[in-house]
Amino acid sequence: MEEEKRQKFRQALRDVKNLPTLPAVVMKLTKMAEDPDVTTEQMGRVISKDHILGAKLLKLVNSAFYGFPQRISSLQSAIILLGFSVIKSLIISASIFEFMEDNDRELWEHSLGCAVVCNVLARRLAVSDPEEISTAGLIHDIGKVAIKMELAQEYREIEAMVHDRGISMREAETEVLGFNHAEVGGWLAKTWNLPSKLVEPVAMHHNPAGAKKEKLAAAIVHVGDIIIRGMGLGHGEDIWVPALAQSAWQLLKLTAADLDEILLEVEEKLWEVKGFSLDIMAEFEAKAD
Amino acid sequence: MPRILVAGQGALISPEGQVVFEARGYQLIFAHSLHEAVNYVLEDPPDFLITEFGFDGPERKLINAVKACLQKTNMPILLVLPRQVLPAMDWNLFPVDDIILEPASPEVFLARVQLAESRLLRVFDNNPLSRLPGNTSIIRAIQRTLEADATAGVCYLDLDNFKPYNDRYGFTQGDDVILMVARLAVNVVEELARENSFVGHVGGDDFVVIVPEAKVVPVCEKILANFEVVKNMFLSHDDLKAGAYHAKDRQGRETTYGLLSLSIAVVLSRRDKFKHYGEVSAAASQVKHLTKKLDGSNYMIDRRESYKPDTAARQ
Repeated sequence: MEEEKRQKFRQALRDVKNLPTLPAVVMKLTKMAEDPDVTTEQMGRVISKDHILGAKLLKLVNSAFYGFPQRISSLQSAIILLGFSVIKSLIISASIFEFMEDNDRELWEHSLGCAVVCNVLARRLAVSDPEEISTAGLIHDIGKVAIKMELAQEYREIEAMVHDRGISMREAETEVLGFNHAEVGGWLAKTWNLPSKLVEPVAMHHNPAGAKKEKLAAAIVHVGDIIIRGMGLGHGEDIWVPALAQSAWQLLKLTAADLDEILLEVEEKLWEVKGFSLDIMAEFEAKAD
Repeated sequence: MPRILVAGQGALISPEGQVVFEARGYQLIFAHSLHEAVNYVLEDPPDFLITEFGFDGPERKLINAVKACLQKTNMPILLVLPRQVLPAMDWNLFPVDDIILEPASPEVFLARVQLAESRLLRVFDNNPLSRLPGNTSIIRAIQRTLEADATAGVCYLDLDNFKPYNDRYGFTQGDDVILMVARLAVNVVEELARENSFVGHVGGDDFVVIVPEAKVVPVCEKILANFEVVKNMFLSHDDLKAGAYHAKDRQGRETTYGLLSLSIAVVLSRRDKFKHYGEVSAAASQVKHLTKKLDGSNYMIDRRESYKPDTAARQ
């Protein structure tokens, strides 16, 4: 891998402006924004279920212009500080997939599922701000969307490699680009001035031992990602469940019995996620007909 | 270099016009779709907006996106429109700062922008940190409640133990907390009491919010609830865990301070109760004194039927 090529890829990814999300989510929010009885919280709850809009909201609230650089790590706080009109503008400015593939929807479901698992883990481990960890879980794979949008040709190459050689997406990314989607997500989060509490878990979700300040958060997102993949929610083309980092598992100090309880709790909460996903898709398809 | 967003389907400013602007040190950014224009406003806000009539649809989504939010209320908007639509214009629906009739020469465009820029400097009253209206406007707003028939709640907000917070976290972070209170107060008022309301910044950590009487309780409760959610972002992990911190008070004695909290003292103002805005603020100080004695974030409404200068307020 020549350094020059890698630099070119990096630059392209850092300059990414408006990542697209699912048309169904944007349609639902557009409808909500026009309803005078809808509250900021209700809109916030839907935005908190979308990795792209969630990331965009955090980018806005942490931009120098809105006044809180590197400070706000929770979506709930971001929504309170930005207010209804900015959220409405966010929806008008949202970009959607022109050609949506099953993969895009699956990655969306996976991200949302990961946020749910992270939240269950964080509460169980009694961390000081569980919502922050679920936010990190929600946006952990934004690097994948950025690669797909900005480096379309390389992305096809990666996909073909995953398909033909049966390797993981991460391995293929490293071979083609010289870095993987976790690193890309980390650069984006950093460029967008997100707090290090979010940058590290995103950047290190496949390498939690590499986290410097946010070891526990990185370990939780790492384990959360694996659990949700293991449960088979939204794998996309990337069929391999990532390997568990021993150090992360030890940091969480969980037993097999704990895990049984966690899985039960997660499964219950996933019903809500699946219900939400079915709802918005049905609404979207009804409108499209 | 001041940046001007030119949002329109057509070329509002010709390439020759662009040269005129650039020669004077302005940078022009063009957006041809609504989606693109709103994205600029959100993520890379310009200093001026020039847009054409009809571009953002009957709901005026772009103009409203700029005007409705606190962070951008200072961005001047120039609307370009044909002469024949003038008689039918309802300017209450178009919160723009100036108009330009088409066709207009680049020199006219430039002059209007420069005029808007100098007008901006004349608004002396706004608080430089929060950009909210300052004392002159606050006094006027309170005076208006004394002339109205309907009762209004004049709410005085201020942070408890803000000085020790500043000493501990530094004044830059103290400013962030003030900005946080400004934002969440504006957002709550905008959502729950958009009509007949006002938010002003007295200075430091003091704010005044005015809403109709019926909205006082929901607005105060929502402001305090939102404050409780967001304040943790402005406290260190260790302080949060301890639930308090120790610092020396003004006399140099070791004192325990609670973490950030917000107090709101509310006076119900109407014309048969007070004669002068000074009486409203004096009544508020009495209530504030009582509110401050309580732990944590609280609001208190002065429900006395008349104003008595020297007696303590009762709940």
